[in-house]
Amino acid sequence: MNVREVPQDITYYEGKKRACWALNDEGKYVIVPSSGWEVEAVVNGLAVEEMAASLEATRQAVLAGVKSPLCYYMELRQMTPEILGKTARVAAFRVRRHFRPDVFSKLGPSVLDRYARALAVTLDELKTVPQT
Amino acid sequence: MTTEVTAAGKPFIHVHSAHCESGVTAALFRDKGVEISEPMIFGIGSGIFFGHLPFVKMGGVTISTFRSQPGAVFRKSAKRLGGKFKTARFRNPKKGMDELRRVLGTGQIVGLTTNIYWLSYFPNRFRFQFNGHNIVVLHEIENGFRVSDPMLEEPVDCPAEDLERARFARGPLESRGFMYYPQSVNPNPDLRAAGLQGMKDTCKMMLKIPLPIFGIRGMRYLAKKIIRSPEKLGFMGACRELSSVVRMQEEVGTGGAGFRYMYAAFLQEAAELFASKELARLSGEMTAIGDIWREFAVVSARIIKKRGQTEETFEKAGGLMLICAGREEQLFKDLAKAAGKLKA
Repeated sequence: MNVREVPQDITYYEGKKRACWALNDEGKYVIVPSSGWEVEAVVNGLAVEEMAASLEATRQAVLAGVKSPLCYYMELRQMTPEILGKTARVAAFRVRRHFRPDVFSKLGPSVLDRYARALAVTLDELKTVPQT
Repeated sequence: MTTEVTAAGKPFIHVHSAHCESGVTAALFRDKGVEISEPMIFGIGSGIFFGHLPFVKMGGVTISTFRSQPGAVFRKSAKRLGGKFKTARFRNPKKGMDELRRVLGTGQIVGLTTNIYWLSYFPNRFRFQFNGHNIVVLHEIENGFRVSDPMLEEPVDCPAEDLERARFARGPLESRGFMYYPQSVNPNPDLRAAGLQGMKDTCKMMLKIPLPIFGIRGMRYLAKKIIRSPEKLGFMGACRELSSVVRMQEEVGTGGAGFRYMYAAFLQEAAELFASKELARLSGEMTAIGDIWREFAVVSARIIKKRGQTEETFEKAGGLMLICAGREEQLFKDLAKAAGKLKA
């Protein structure tokens, strides 16, 4: 790749630039900051879209009373029940059980507090999901 | 490049790097007065690799990797360059943060392994649960730390709370607050001997691992799997798998083409070091292979974007990868021969 071929397609990194190695005119490798490549945007877009869609579905499920807000915040933080369980010191099968709204509503303050800390949200936030 | 000041009051030159681990290791060496570049560390630490792990799934897709396992570049390059490093992990996050402050207090800059999701200074697009991002902490500031992240152009401030979360995040490959800093460094390391060790190790890993999922064999295995994937997984499933390969190749700080360009840069530097025409030729060949990897990424992106409404096919994408496999096999065989002839 030549330095002029380093993609500068879009400001995809929110103003930040990423380093690429490329050949300059003397044939030597140098670092060239790249503002983004369309290929990356497409490929990453697929994963980002799917994650957003799944998060939105979970939010609707919470509003419909099928799942607890815990599930929403876990997905928001891109965690799995295993990771969340380890972080909050709750067994993974209990985390899954707490996705049931009826079980979640009966949780004591100490467990809720651990969840809130693990997910970096406040206790009040943990009990609801955003309306929009 | 930006000049910063370390805890000791020494000037620190922040260098924008492609790969976090080799960037951090190079920065730690430079701080001790050893002038060494990122590709050099990457080559000496045998960073280039290929592997496809069909049985490890992250977010529903299998994992492919273009590099050796996290931590290996640091470990190997430190050993081969004769640097003695102090490393530590912690059970207790508070103790981990106290130890970091203590070491910074002695004027030493510290390398840390962190979870990239909790580093709030990154754009949201970069943030995903990955427990292997390396950074350098320069000194303490009010309510936080001055951080030189080799993936960014400038040093940044990181709140102490975020850094603690990032260091002690749980999950696969958790770092448990892993920190490392040089205790003593050989001021005049034998770059030639270390480079040869790195090259030989790399050739062994790419050609000789007797499992079909690593090295060149891994590439062929994955290429054939990609060709078959639309029948096996359905179109969307195949796209998902393909996108995860390209993400590992381009997204995660590789310097382009899954570290191939960075390795070409290493071979170029090594060619000057040994005054070897053969190494210079191999560097050019590696660049050419990197260009094919880039083409593979372009073809894959077209498949994913157009959702089947294009002439690009999975056969073409897999075929390009088979070409890469063939040429890389020849390259590493030649490199093994060349490295065997060169004298340290």
